[in-house]
Amino acid sequence: MKLDVKHILKTYGIFLAFLLICIILAILSPVFLRWNNILNVIRQSSIYGVMAVGMTFVILSGGIDLSVGSVLALSGIIAAGAATAGVGIFGIVALGLLVGVLCGLFNGLMITLGKITPFVITLGMMSIARGLTLIYSGGRPISGFEGAFRFIGGGFILGIPFPIVILAVTVLIGWLVLTQTRLGRYTYAIGGNEETVKLSGINSNFYKTMVYVISGLTSAMSALILTSRLNSGGPNVGQAYELDVIAAVVIGGTSLSGGRGSVWGTLVGALMISVINNGMNLLGINPFFQLVVKGVIIIGAVFLDRLRDQAN
Amino acid sequence: MKKLIIVALVLALLVPAFGFAAGRGEAADGAIRIGMSVPGLQFPFFVTMREEAEAAAAELGATIVFADALNDAAKQASDIENFIAQGLDAILISPMTTDALVPVIEQAVAAGIPVATVDRQANTDRVLVHVGADNVEGGRAAARFIIEQLGGSGSVIQLEGTPGASAAIDRKAGFDEVMAGSGITVLTSQSAEFDRARGQTVMENLIQAYPNFDAVFGANDEMIIGAIEAMQGSGVNARDKVTIGFDATPDAFAYIQNGLLDATIDQFPGQQAGQALQILVDNIRTGARPAQSVIFISPLPVTSAP
Amino acid sequence: MEPVLRMQGISKSFPGVRALQNVDFELLPGEVHALVGENGAGKSTLMKILSGVYTPDEGDIQLKGTSVVNAGPKAMLDAGVSVIYQELNLVPHLSVAENVMLGREPRRAGGLIDWKAMRAEVKKLIAQFNLKLDPRTPVYRISPAYQQVVEIIKAISLRSDILVMDEPTASLTGNEVERLFEIIRQLRSQGVSIIYISHRLEELWEVADRVTVLRDGERITTKPLAELTVPDIVRNMVGRELTEQYPVTEIETRDEVLRVEGLTKAGVCSDVSFAVRGGEIVGFSGLVGAGRTEIMQIIFGYLKRDSGKIFIHGKEVDIRSTRDAVRNGIALIPEERKRQGLILGLSVFDNAALAVLDRNSTFGVINFKKLSDLIHRIVETIGVKTPSPRQLVKFLSGGNQQKVVLSKWFVRDCDIYIFDEPTRGIDVGAKVEIYRLMQSLAQRGAAVIMVSSELLEVLNMSDRIQVVYDGRIVKEFRRDEATEEGVMKYALGVAGSVA
Repeated sequence: MKLDVKHILKTYGIFLAFLLICIILAILSPVFLRWNNILNVIRQSSIYGVMAVGMTFVILSGGIDLSVGSVLALSGIIAAGAATAGVGIFGIVALGLLVGVLCGLFNGLMITLGKITPFVITLGMMSIARGLTLIYSGGRPISGFEGAFRFIGGGFILGIPFPIVILAVTVLIGWLVLTQTRLGRYTYAIGGNEETVKLSGINSNFYKTMVYVISGLTSAMSALILTSRLNSGGPNVGQAYELDVIAAVVIGGTSLSGGRGSVWGTLVGALMISVINNGMNLLGINPFFQLVVKGVIIIGAVFLDRLRDQAN
Repeated sequence: MKKLIIVALVLALLVPAFGFAAGRGEAADGAIRIGMSVPGLQFPFFVTMREEAEAAAAELGATIVFADALNDAAKQASDIENFIAQGLDAILISPMTTDALVPVIEQAVAAGIPVATVDRQANTDRVLVHVGADNVEGGRAAARFIIEQLGGSGSVIQLEGTPGASAAIDRKAGFDEVMAGSGITVLTSQSAEFDRARGQTVMENLIQAYPNFDAVFGANDEMIIGAIEAMQGSGVNARDKVTIGFDATPDAFAYIQNGLLDATIDQFPGQQAGQALQILVDNIRTGARPAQSVIFISPLPVTSAP
Repeated sequence: MEPVLRMQGISKSFPGVRALQNVDFELLPGEVHALVGENGAGKSTLMKILSGVYTPDEGDIQLKGTSVVNAGPKAMLDAGVSVIYQELNLVPHLSVAENVMLGREPRRAGGLIDWKAMRAEVKKLIAQFNLKLDPRTPVYRISPAYQQVVEIIKAISLRSDILVMDEPTASLTGNEVERLFEIIRQLRSQGVSIIYISHRLEELWEVADRVTVLRDGERITTKPLAELTVPDIVRNMVGRELTEQYPVTEIETRDEVLRVEGLTKAGVCSDVSFAVRGGEIVGFSGLVGAGRTEIMQIIFGYLKRDSGKIFIHGKEVDIRSTRDAVRNGIALIPEERKRQGLILGLSVFDNAALAVLDRNSTFGVINFKKLSDLIHRIVETIGVKTPSPRQLVKFLSGGNQQKVVLSKWFVRDCDIYIFDEPTRGIDVGAKVEIYRLMQSLAQRGAAVIMVSSELLEVLNMSDRIQVVYDGRIVKEFRRDEATEEGVMKYALGVAGSVA
């Protein structure tokens, strides 16, 4: 069999690009491949990564969720408030996740029953959640947690940072849901052609709403990790996160028009963003250039995706 | 406490509306009403400034009509226009940008309302006074603190603010200037965009690249707190390192109390606002103008809660 | 007479496929030349070469005596070759007038668009078709039939002297087709040459002079139509005798499965009542826009009804959504295959499984082992030609795509199957297979409804025919009493005046 370089490039382009960047960084910085640094990079990617799994569902269904950064802030500040008020660990987690789920439910219901485009609704939610965060916090960070809550962001299981465990489990569950359940298959189908889904006797509104609930849930999960890691919830956290999260999904090869993509790609996308940030810090690259490099990589990834489309 | 803040915020939103309905005549009872506008209450710095300004105003026998620009220069401009329409006696403003607010400030002055700027300057000579802290001087003060603590030798990591922001540029300039003449090496200077979470990730990365550092300078408290959390999470004891932040936020003082943070540069936002208010009130009551039209309060490192 | 177009020895290959081999084709001035063949026979490739979209690997093209190989699409258009593709090329949110005059808008002084002149010009063109169509209507608001007409008007307005029409009547009915033929005859008398591609073989004799049959990329024959019959052409197309284009089987009818009473929706249909028994195929005839599709969508819960009752197996059912309909055993194979029946970016498997995931999962987790056995069996029974069930549906031919839609509902095993234009744009061979599948459904006791604009198909396949005119059922025919003329009269709403 002939080795078809073009085909390999098109199919595994983003994975190869990721490997290439890692190899270059390993050559340029002796620190890059150290175990601690590797754990470090993956742990940093866990915040974007977990949210990006939820965003993958939304984008696969043909939608978009711009509210993730603000929902993260709101969940985080509520969890922080609960933690400082002496609520137990399960209470903190439940409250934080509930906030995310409710925000997602609001998005989903407005989009499906209100028949308003996801862009507009989630843009509104982005503002509402940020505002509620400011109201609740009075503009001040809420900090100083103890015990179990700190474990979420700072603990280790068998030497692996707990956020990495959360990321791994989230990606795994995301993958299982997308491939093995009705919700997952319908998500692809709705993104491919919603009218056909409706005409196949499926209550597409229910599944579409669920997709936004999932995105709210993963935003809240990231909020718990971030709040615990920072030892504080702040009114400003998560600003512009939606852009990095969407970037991770798109770099991972999920089509912005819906119907095609996977969480594995998204995982690579999230790792890519962390690796780039880490590498530029290690190499001491001028901050001004860092933005340019990131932009070039996002465009490059989408370009690769187009090549793959044309190959089909 | 939280409920109080909510109530205060709601009132802050409603007061201008009532004021507008009441019109100019309200001031006749002798109470001085001063409009205060800041870039955004999501920055703890301005939360502190507002609280201390309200306390100072109460002492001067004046009330504050407050407006939050929500980080939007256009909103701030219309807030100022509302102040003018309400016929307030004076305006205290920390403008979003140096140029965007100039037209409304000049409009207010033309309407006979004295205007003072605090912390951030506006590009006009029509204001009664500007009271601010010199960010370059603050950067110098932070550098001097580290040199003193390290005894003149060692290495430092610098976390810069958002690329292109004037506060980031000035603080870095002052810091670098003093460091250049010392025996201390600046290992690297990276941006963490004035953000706590970014401060944490950038510091985590830098610990890998520069495991042997002696001190960290964060160009605001959010970044240095993020950096401290990064050190604690990576097995580096922040108590063994010299750390200094900037802005003197309540959170920073909490870290100082725990011994994790050594100092923060205080620009005394309350004092800035207080001085500006004093000058405004004097001007309204007696027509007096300040001796200098620009007053800088020297920023200083503080090592314990006030 | 010197031909206006001469294509000689045209060959074209794509990776893995020999699309055309040494094909000759000639077109005389004022000739309507039919081009027929099964899907994949090479018709589209030949026309894309003519319109300059593809470059042939070998061969020569002469337009009025000049060689024009490699000229490109723009040059071919300027040289007077216009193609009306089956997939319409209209801008949905622009008006009819703007679509017709796109890029050639009349201007007033100062470069502003002269709307008045534009509308007047387009109105004149519409009048030729004898249609009620406001040039200001946005194209997305008009039916597929009218959209087709807009495409034709656009080509005519370009004053092309070679016109390629790809399945122009596929979405037209009755009088619209007749008007189109009149236009074609009119154009022919003005010396315009037309290449006419159609799967509706019967209509060729009405408009075309000669026919060229392609099969597997080769030209099989070119002859005057007068020398041929439908079976001759079919034999040339498929290379074998198609003994029965409309297969006949005797199916025993059973008890009533579906009964509809007084179905009404304002502006769509009123007081529609009918019943279908198990083992029966009931055809619905009528003009495009008569309300047939909408009646079916109401029964399927896709459109809301104002009033009316639906009974299944004698029991009234409350259908408020497509989900309710499917749970009550109704399947709808929709009119617009690509837009409503399929998810083009997903695989054959995913499409075929779409309607049965609920039955093959526990707490939302799909039982793939059970499901794939089922899907593989059905896809094979139905005869979907695909290299693998993992193949994306967008790469299949029209006939195979339709079979995927059928698979979706065969897997579900419903009691009532509603087919809306099941054979539109599908080649002869695949049509027969679909007819057989419909009969197999009836045989196993299902009630089958077929909405179709192809009269012969309805007449030959249905046990009974309901004729819909203006949202009402105006006539029911038994198979033995139905004639083309009879059905057409009611479909056109002229039966009363004739009788």
